[in-house]
This record gives sequence, structure tokens and C-alpha cells, in this order.
Amino acid sequence: MSGLRALLGLGLLVAGSRLQRITTQTSACRSGPTWWGPQRQNSGVRWNSEVMASTAVKYLSQEEAQAVDQELFNEYQFSVDQLMELAGLSCATAIAKAYPPTSMSRSPPTVLVICGPGNNGGDGLVCARHLKLFGYQPTIYYPKRPNKPLFTALVTQCQKMDIPFLGEMPSEPMVIDELYELVVDAIFGFSFKGDVREPFHSILSVLKGLTVPIASIDIPSGAGTQEVGWGRLGPYPPDFCPQV
Amino acid sequence: MSSAAGPDPSEAPEERRFLSTAEAAALERELLEDYRFGRQQLVELCGHASAVAVTKAFPLPALSRKQRTVLVVCGPEQNGAVGLVCARHLRVFEYEPTIFYPTRSLDLLHRDLTTQCEKMDIPFLSYLPTEVQLINEAYGLVVDAVLGPGVEPREVGGPCTRALATLKLLSIPLVSLDIPSGWDAETGSDSEDGLRPDVLVSLAAPKRCAGRFSGRHHFVAGRFVPDDVLRKFALRLPGYTGTDCVAAL
Repeated sequence: MSGLRALLGLGLLVAGSRLQRITTQTSACRSGPTWWGPQRQNSGVRWNSEVMASTAVKYLSQEEAQAVDQELFNEYQFSVDQLMELAGLSCATAIAKAYPPTSMSRSPPTVLVICGPGNNGGDGLVCARHLKLFGYQPTIYYPKRPNKPLFTALVTQCQKMDIPFLGEMPSEPMVIDELYELVVDAIFGFSFKGDVREPFHSILSVLKGLTVPIASIDIPSGAGTQEVGWGRLGPYPPDFCPQV
Repeated sequence: MSSAAGPDPSEAPEERRFLSTAEAAALERELLEDYRFGRQQLVELCGHASAVAVTKAFPLPALSRKQRTVLVVCGPEQNGAVGLVCARHLRVFEYEPTIFYPTRSLDLLHRDLTTQCEKMDIPFLSYLPTEVQLINEAYGLVVDAVLGPGVEPREVGGPCTRALATLKLLSIPLVSLDIPSGWDAETGSDSEDGLRPDVLVSLAAPKRCAGRFSGRHHFVAGRFVPDDVLRKFALRLPGYTGTDCVAAL
């Protein structure tokens, strides 16, 4: 979930290894300046190393991320609501900078936000609401909802803003590619441990087959935070990973 | 102060740009009760957006070290809570805020927001000099988060009232959150005699008294009002661009 970075406004990290895919996607869309500038078109790999050298941001392990959260809650007396709001807003801002409405085919651009059963899902709900305010047309899939006032309130806010909630997830990647221009993965966050239960296992499999860009909140769902690789589910390629 | 009898007949329904005090309260109630927003969410969004507004009016690269120091004066009610959040985000944005929060609310929201500021090493003044020249010399700008619409000046206690008296004589820039503290939220009376901010940051939507504002910049900040609510209150706000949470009026 949200950590010190949301507060420090350190900005975002693009999952560099997938930049080429972003290039492929947006070349089909209306052109427009993107926030990282024209270098991106030339060589994803070269740009990647320049960015990585200049930003010099520390990556947190799962324990460190959890420790940051604990400090924010216990010492700084932040509430989950506050941090979740900041996290979701920051993510929506990041996504809107990476995939501005003017660069998308549809007007308003359609976005599918998939929310998991925990705080990462809550971040997704906040993110969807702000994306709506920024001029996107989000749809949410939120199959497992915790029975807590924080989450029911976030759902109400989205419903009242006419953000539809899907009853079921399309099982064919092609269907999602047709309907949505961007998918936001808000399924699991950094505190995820253990096995992936249904329906999320199937959802993650579907996401692997997508051609539209995927923006993952905090970490690509299912990716082990401890490992350099992509965790027990094998690589599932997020194009954009705003790390909170 | 009783609110106005109804919408100003000279304003066409589609073009209302201001909210009366009663309408502002009704809009907030709708967000809290129907939309189930939490007060903490809205205060956080307003405070964050207020800080962003300050950075737009006084961009950091153009400021000297001294000019980055910001005195944030917070009252005991919601306007003060927004001020506390604003101070914290100013700190994150690398300004150097100091807070004067003499009359502290006991409610949990205020206490937690205070803790967050304290833990981020934002100093809290124990008293505010009555000699305005000392404030002019110590700070680059002042944020007035003392009184919001519908709060009577006499409700906030001596230290806040004295602070406002001092701020009236300020020569460094003054930014007021939502309404200039001490102005009547409806009529803007006392706008001659009261605070004369350089920047007004209207929260969510401008209040009636903003019509009397004659300072340098007027922003609306806090981008969270759903379209349906805007329509219901027949509000026409300037367009926010991109992901901005602040729009200039």
C-alpha cells in the first residue's frame, strides 16, 4: 500500500524493461508529447539506463515497505483512509501522465480497474474515482470486497459517480483488448504472501494475454517483492508500475 | 449571520460561480452522507490542493531561502485542519512551513494531523509576535487557515483574533484558504477593514464573498466534486486541465 513515497512525492518509476511495448502501443494512437519526452521513441533500453542512473531511487523490500507503513500509522498517526486517498490520487496522476487522454483512441478513454481483496484494491478504487475526474471512463472489477466501512464507502463513492462495477471478468484477453484501452492492476500489493486464490489466479492468467497496456499499482500483482524476477506466477508484463 | 434568501437573480442558473454558506454546507453534507466521503479524505484533498496552489502562486525555483519559509496560521475548526494538511504538503514540496495553532481542537482528526506535522519536524510557534515587522522579516509568506465560512470570529478565541489583527498589517504575501478569515462569507463585508490576501484559494468552489476579492490570484482547489453534484448546485467551475487539482479563476 502507500508508503513514504506517496508523501515525499518522489514520483514514479516506469517498469523499464517494458518500455518498448509502450512504444508499440502508443504509435497507433494520436501523437502527443508524453511526459518523458521524445527519447522514448528511439531506444527503450538506452533511455532505461539513463533514467535508472539519474533517479537513483531506493527499492524497498517487503519488510522495509511494511515497516514504513507501520511507522506512518503508529508514529505519524496517519489513517489508512488518508494514505489510501493520497496513494490512489498519485497513481491516477501517474497513469494520466503516462497515458494522457489525448494519446488514447477513444474519448473518453476506457480503463478497466481490477481491484483485489485488500488495501491494493482500495488504492484501485480511489484511483478509479480520480481517473473519472481526470476525464477517463473507468470500469471496475471488484470480486472480493472486505466488509469494512473504509471499503464500502469507497465503493459507494464510485457508484455515486456512475463508475460501473462488472459482475464478472471477461475470460478472453481479446475481449478486454477490444473494450478497454488500458488496464489498471490493483490486485495485490507489497504485503501479499502465499498462494494466489481464485478468482485472482484466473484473472492474472487473463492479464498475461493482454496487448493493451497494464499499469500495476505498487507492484505487479503476484510478483515477489524479494526477487528480482516476477515471482511464482511467472512473468506477467506490466507496462507501467507506479510504485507507491 | 443568516444566509442570503436564495440564488442571486442576476445570475443565470447555468452560470452560478459562487456558493452561499448554506449551499456550501449542503454540498459538503451531500458528499459526506450520500457519497460516503470521509471528512478526513476531503480535508486531505483540500489541504493538498491548497499547497499545490501555493506552489503555483509562489513557485519554489523563484524563491530565495528566506522566501520559502511559510507561516501557516490555523484556527480550531475545519479551516485549521485544512491548514495543517497544507503545511505538511508544503513541507513535502520543500518549502519550510512553521505553524501557529494556538487554539487546538480536541477532535481526533485535528490531533492526528498535528502529530503528522510534529513528526515531520514542522515547528509549532507557542506565540505569535504582535509586532508585524517581525513576521515580515522571518517569513516569506503567510497562509491564513483561521476561519472558514460559517465560523464566527468570536468563536475562535483570543489568540486567533489577535493573530488576525496582526495579519491585517502584513506586508509579505498572504494566502487565505477558502475565505479571507474574518470576512462575512456571504457579503464580503469587512473586506475593507479585514484581511486583504494576495491569493485566495477557494476550496471546492468559490464562496459568495469571493466576489469582493481583489488580490493577485484566485484559485479554486480541491478536485473531488462529482459532476452530478456540480449540476445539482448549478455550479460552473473553471475547467481543470490534465491532472491538476488547482484551477485559476
